Amino acid sequence: MALSLKYYLKEIFRIEWLKKFLFARTAPLGTPTYFRNFPELTGKTCTHALFCMMACPAPGAIEVIKTPEGWQPRIHIGHCIRCGLCVEACPNGVLSSGRILESMFYDNTALSFSFRIDVDTDKCMGCGNCAVACPVNKLIDAQMSFGGRASTDELLLMVSAGKCRAVHVEKCTGCKTCEDNCPNKAISVTRLLEAIHCPEEDL
Amino acid sequence: MSLLQRVKNFVRSRSIHVAYVDVGSCNGCDIEVLACLSPRYDIEQYGIYVHNNPREADILLVIGAFTPGWEDKLRSVWDKIPEPKAAIAIGNCPISGCLYNRPHTLIDPPVAKHIPIAAQVPGCPPRPTEILSAVLAVAPVVFKDFEVKKR
Ligand code: SF4
Ligand code: SF4
Ligand code: SF4
Ligand code: SF4
Repeated sequence: MALSLKYYLKEIFRIEWLKKFLFARTAPLGTPTYFRNFPELTGKTCTHALFCMMACPAPGAIEVIKTPEGWQPRIHIGHCIRCGLCVEACPNGVLSSGRILESMFYDNTALSFSFRIDVDTDKCMGCGNCAVACPVNKLIDAQMSFGGRASTDELLLMVSAGKCRAVHVEKCTGCKTCEDNCPNKAISVTRLLEAIHCPEEDL
Repeated sequence: MSLLQRVKNFVRSRSIHVAYVDVGSCNGCDIEVLACLSPRYDIEQYGIYVHNNPREADILLVIGAFTPGWEDKLRSVWDKIPEPKAAIAIGNCPISGCLYNRPHTLIDPPVAKHIPIAAQVPGCPPRPTEILSAVLAVAPVVFKDFEVKKR
């Protein structure tokens, strides 16, 4: 009787078991290495392509600023949602986060940008401010002035028959200068971000 | 340090009551706070107990971008919490408004405008481990020797 009681007590109050029961700790408070954290700089040279800022969905999360070492993206923690789109969008691999760069390399994926320009013809009064302000137009026809009258049909935006028309949408760089300069908020630029798979091309 | 103070320090370090309030979020951060309760993270092993009574709470987790409906209510929730107390902003929303901080939205971030915030956990949403380590980091700073510091 006494022996079995002793045996039971010994079984119940095993030191390792008591330790485990009282001081158990499950998951360590660590972060796995593959976790997609706030993007970090890899040290490669930023060419001020601004693809990161274009891809970023969060307001005020990323800025490309000029430092003594050249251009550099800055991630604003508290705004960044860690989506990793800037990492994927950068053509130079300046940013990295988790395994994004590795998996892009193995899967041969990339992000492609295109832009869609919508003009609300009810609101547009054909002033041509957008066509004059557009920096792409400026490169094609530096002489363009008030009214946005087109001298060549190579232009991105032009006014014809009293309404603004986007002729060569594929030339748009998505700067949204036209939006800012339209007095009637008639023109809107939409960014279309597509993930593409390019088995042939080398990234 | 008096014996009483030592006992208080010990008890407070092992018994942190947490209340959370969602002042207009997408529910993402709520789910991450909930995940802290799961066996994978198991916050009760650290002496943290989550319930939703501000009158019993020590730490208030604020989630969300502060919608107009909370204008008068968040302050009263905060005032109900007995001293010593601390508020932690969980996620980007209470820090910056996150994706909702655009023209013509009704939100009014940061939450620090409305109640004092002791710590911020950025992320959309933050990992449960980040929430946990924020609570564990804030608790000793606020609660240890509270009576001594107050004097
Ligand atoms: S990770 Fe996403 S939210 Fe953060 S800076 Fe990059 S694109 Fe913006
Ligand atoms: S977004 Fe910029 S480049 Fe595109 S049409 Fe407007 S001004 Fe021109
Ligand atoms: S879209 Fe706006 S800026 Fe461009 S022509 Fe029409 S009214 Fe003028
Ligand atoms: S920080 Fe992100 S996940 Fe959290 S409530 Fe705001 S939008 Fe949702």
